[in-house]
Amino acid sequence: MNSSEPKQQWLIRLQSFWQTFSKNRIGLVGLAMLALLILMAIFAPLIAPYTSSSSAEFQVGDIYNPPSASHWFGTDDAGQDIFSNFVFGARISLIVGFFAAFISIIIGGVLGLVAGFLGGRWENLLMRFTDTMLVIPDLPLMVVIIALTKPSLLNIIFVIGLLGWTTTARVVRSQTLAVKSRKFVLRARAVGAGNAHIISRHILPLVMPILVVQAVLVVSLAILNESALSFLGLGDPTVLSWGQMLNYAFGRGAMSIGAWWALFFPGFGIVWVVLGLTLLGQGLEQVLNPRLDTHHLMPGRPTVRKDRVEAQTKFTKETVLEVQNLSINYINEGKPPARAVENVSFTLNAGELIGLVGESGCGKTTLMLSLLRLLPSAGQIVDGRVFFNGEDLTTISDEELNKIRWKEISIVFQGAMNALNPVRTVGDQIAEAITRHMPDFPKDKIQARVIELLDLVGIAADHREHFPHQYSGGMRQRAMIAMALACNPQVIIADEPTTALDVMIQAQILELLDSLRKKLGLAIIFVTHDLGVVAEICDKVLVMYGGVTAEYAEVDTIYNEPRHPYTQELIKAFPDLTKPKKKLTSIPGYPPRLDNLPVGCRFAPRCPAVFARCHTEQPILHNLGNSHIASCHLVEASK
Amino acid sequence: MNRTRALLKKIAWSAFTVLFVIILNFFLFRILPGDPARAGIRDPRLKKEAVEMLRVRFGLDKPVINCFESLNPIKVGSCAVNPLDTQFFIYTRNLFQGELGISYHTNRPVADILAERLWNTVLLIGAGQILSIIIGVVFGIFAAWKARTSVDYSAVIASLLVWSLPTFWLAILLLFWGSNNGLPLAGKSTPGSSSLPLIQQWVDIARHMLLPTLTYTIVYMGEYTLIMRSSLMDVLSEDYILTAKAKGLSTFQILKDHALKNAMLPLVTVIAINLGFTVAGAIQIEAVFSWPGLGGAIVEALGRRDFPVLQGAFLLIAVTVIFANLLADLTYSYLDPRVKVD
Amino acid sequence: MSKDAFLEVNGLKKYFDATGRAGLFSRDTRHVHAVDGVDFTLRHSEVLALVGESGCGKSTLALLLMGLEKPTAGTIHFEGRDITHISEHERKDVRRKIQMIFQDPYESLNPTQSIEEIVNEPLVVHGLGADKKERDERVKKAMEDSGLKPADVYLNRFPHELSGGQRQRVVIAAALVLEPEILLADEPVSMLDVSIRAEIINLLAELRITRQIAVIFITHDLGSVGFFADRVAVMYLGRIVEIGTMLDVLEKPRHPYTKALISVIPVPNPRLRHERIILQGETPNPIDLPTGCRFHPRCPVAIATCKASDPPFVILSKTHKAACLLLVK
Repeated sequence: MNSSEPKQQWLIRLQSFWQTFSKNRIGLVGLAMLALLILMAIFAPLIAPYTSSSSAEFQVGDIYNPPSASHWFGTDDAGQDIFSNFVFGARISLIVGFFAAFISIIIGGVLGLVAGFLGGRWENLLMRFTDTMLVIPDLPLMVVIIALTKPSLLNIIFVIGLLGWTTTARVVRSQTLAVKSRKFVLRARAVGAGNAHIISRHILPLVMPILVVQAVLVVSLAILNESALSFLGLGDPTVLSWGQMLNYAFGRGAMSIGAWWALFFPGFGIVWVVLGLTLLGQGLEQVLNPRLDTHHLMPGRPTVRKDRVEAQTKFTKETVLEVQNLSINYINEGKPPARAVENVSFTLNAGELIGLVGESGCGKTTLMLSLLRLLPSAGQIVDGRVFFNGEDLTTISDEELNKIRWKEISIVFQGAMNALNPVRTVGDQIAEAITRHMPDFPKDKIQARVIELLDLVGIAADHREHFPHQYSGGMRQRAMIAMALACNPQVIIADEPTTALDVMIQAQILELLDSLRKKLGLAIIFVTHDLGVVAEICDKVLVMYGGVTAEYAEVDTIYNEPRHPYTQELIKAFPDLTKPKKKLTSIPGYPPRLDNLPVGCRFAPRCPAVFARCHTEQPILHNLGNSHIASCHLVEASK
Repeated sequence: MNRTRALLKKIAWSAFTVLFVIILNFFLFRILPGDPARAGIRDPRLKKEAVEMLRVRFGLDKPVINCFESLNPIKVGSCAVNPLDTQFFIYTRNLFQGELGISYHTNRPVADILAERLWNTVLLIGAGQILSIIIGVVFGIFAAWKARTSVDYSAVIASLLVWSLPTFWLAILLLFWGSNNGLPLAGKSTPGSSSLPLIQQWVDIARHMLLPTLTYTIVYMGEYTLIMRSSLMDVLSEDYILTAKAKGLSTFQILKDHALKNAMLPLVTVIAINLGFTVAGAIQIEAVFSWPGLGGAIVEALGRRDFPVLQGAFLLIAVTVIFANLLADLTYSYLDPRVKVD
Repeated sequence: MSKDAFLEVNGLKKYFDATGRAGLFSRDTRHVHAVDGVDFTLRHSEVLALVGESGCGKSTLALLLMGLEKPTAGTIHFEGRDITHISEHERKDVRRKIQMIFQDPYESLNPTQSIEEIVNEPLVVHGLGADKKERDERVKKAMEDSGLKPADVYLNRFPHELSGGQRQRVVIAAALVLEPEILLADEPVSMLDVSIRAEIINLLAELRITRQIAVIFITHDLGSVGFFADRVAVMYLGRIVEIGTMLDVLEKPRHPYTKALISVIPVPNPRLRHERIILQGETPNPIDLPTGCRFHPRCPVAIATCKASDPPFVILSKTHKAACLLLVK
């Protein structure tokens, strides 16, 4: 076996880790603080002006001298130079911290790994034991054990190490459980891999990052525990740790003399090392286990265009929503903005169902969220307008918008499991929409209204008292629809409402939406990646590709006379059971990434009919009459 | 029905943990070299008869447990002794009668010494926990809400800083500060204050509590801030917050009705888990401020090698923590509808 | 056992305890009837589609076939040999020949492994390949056969750098590298975009011809397998309710459940909008099974006797059978 190759892989990973870590300010500061202290500990004999034996020349006048040129940190109760003791004390802290943490991490890591991996009785037993040890207060137990044994450095290391593993065991166990349940572990089993292989190749690499962060934390806790034990008088009398220095100073009158230096500097050392470790741990956590640092309540970016205008086109009674040339960018600090949606227009009439079709990453969800200005904080509407009953939603104030949200335009989100609050009952969440937007609604009628809404979507009244996790996937989606109907809105945006559902449940939801539209005269925007679904219920279809409109037309035109090559290819790629033996044609390649869009037509790299112009020039939207729009150079040529 | 069963299960488990602590406590003091028989009655001036009398008085003449005369050094004894006549049984029986032994130092029953001190510790930890949780939660909410702004960064850095402070050192610094500002520095009340009217007694106690509680609050609020922040960040990036926003709710309404309860739930578990660790802070604070609590009792007992007090204090602290942990656990399963009742 | 069947499943059952385990205070003896008596055979280089809604037991069936779950009853024969209860050691050889592809290509790759490590791993586990050079060649061949061309471009990449379709190709390559005889594909395209789905299905269709691999294609969407399956088995609540050639099932469905399933498959043509048979409610939980025919509570054409007696299989032709009382003459 060639052993050099895996080693290189390892090196590459280390380099890529360092690349990210070196950009993390918190982590770097922590690392620098720690490095400084470690250097001081290593070169202590060179740094310290006095050795501890210098106290042999002890004179009464040396006691508690304030900081001076010869004693930078002053002197202590025994007339010793505090700076020298401080420098040597770093050694004790680091030795205790690292060795005790080593013991804790090994015990906690092995217990957590074994418990998480084996599961069943073993897990139960080990975790019960861990929980028991976790509940027992650790410092009092350390005090008792050290009081009963000899307070030597070795004993202190062992006691701290042997009692400090509980959180590590818990953390490692839950991470092991999480990794073990992932599909790639099942796949490795299906391949025939044994436990040893799975642990070493699949579990450990994913537990390690968590364990590294945990280790840093355990070291800092061990140092804090050592200092506390020493301060309580249980330190090793033969070595002078920072805690020990504080114990002597506090116990021998530094307080009453006002010798603040004897109390301040040793404590400062402890804070320095623990803070260094904490910052390092925080930095490592951010690099090794990155989390999204954004959330839905962060302020959105203001629309670029501020001027308010009335709709230019005369609003017929039927038109409820008109989107004009809408463009949305995602702003990336230090990078050019990603053009997620560009120049998209469509109109929605009352009682109409429009299908918005596109693959993942084509900008369809971004477009829908932007209609109610619900974009994540990086998203910005850079151009275009959204007219709702003649009012431009992109420029009205948040307060005005909040009156339109849900009252006039509501949304049924994809994957309703997460779209409903797990700790509130479904009925309560539906009622909330009513009380928010219809303050005059009689209080005693709200429950009846909730029951009526649930009945409308086919959910029994007694289910309103239940929590979302007690619902099945299909029922949750129905509840979401009931909630969307709560304020009798004019428009419902359904964002992939059937995606994760089985075909039969999908058919149920589609039928429900279609019947509600007819019964209540709703206008619906139906977002989906599934062409078949759209064909079944839509009036008009907007096909998006890479953030732009590919084609927009009546549903019959889209399926029977598509003009854009993407629409044509997409329909051929869709399995059609009415022609069972027909081979599917696939579209080669993959949709473009938003941060790496082609210069010309965005579909050009995958297009079967591509020619030179497509690679250099982005096609404009061509109106083919009868509200049929396509963006393709070929359309222009044939017009 | 299921909830009752889950409740019983949790209580049973806590009872088992208490039993474990009792056994651990008993054997630690018999196995480790600091055997009370030798540590307490080591005085060379005592005559042999006097030593024997003391051994009988402290019950040390009995075998530790069946088959073992003593555990350090290990002396195998008869297994046929009446189990009711062993140190272990007598110790356990006394425990259930509320007896924790007799102090070597004062000859007073340990239970009497510790009873009052337990409440002082509970008072300190209770006040400190409540304050640090409230402050931590508020700071955490602001940090998460204003994520990636200077408010957030300062809250995180400040939290990491206070987390890194050794409790006793902060206590010393505050003691310094207090001594310059005329605050009482030691104990729970001014000597002789018991003759004052009740209101003034309370004011006196509150003044004494100020610095210890402040120390406790500062040391633990950082951790709660960080936990609340990350918990709320997780919640605020959930889809149901987007739903709430789409419903037209104001930011305040979203925080109040959709985010806070969800984000507080993980905090409750952390509080429960942390209880065992926070006792460490109380001991250090009591040591610095001479607060007459269990931690103070431990420190005093250490100095006097008064093992029955040490043993009793440890047991009392552990049992209190187990009980508080049970309470937090039950609160959690009451608050979260998702907790499976199996 | 029929001559040309090289995988034969007889009376296969898998029950799980309803609570997972018996508690301290409770002894729950109810069972989840995940798979409840399944028989079928698979021939060389045949494509069999297993179709059913979630909760019908199709994924459990896959795990049973892979030996990742132990069956409660029934047998599985592979190449004439009973592999139902063989030891893990004996199974290793079988594992090489039966490989599985999972639904979620994002989850089924270890994010810390490079593509080369992922595709090479099965060779390491089975100790195949004489030296590094031979293993490298096999890895590259498997990758290029799976459409990752040229292989060198992908070797040192990591899963997060690939798109969903490319990841699924990596999963297929990691299966092909062992030169299996059966591929078990559990919803391999349901997480992918429509334009990519066709590619993966075409790839599987191609492999059964170029490499003579038999495929068991598990899906909830009959539409996605229509054109390339030889035979279709429809499952409901742990049992096969209808099985036949693809044309038998798609064009002459006889079981009311199959009829409903086919009617709700979306047709990508608004001119062909048709009446759909939409079943009400959802699949009942497999703990308390309905009496008689398990489908009767949702069946649009159920008669009184359906509640009482469990329907037997009715042979409709040499290749086609269905379990419905209405078919019993």
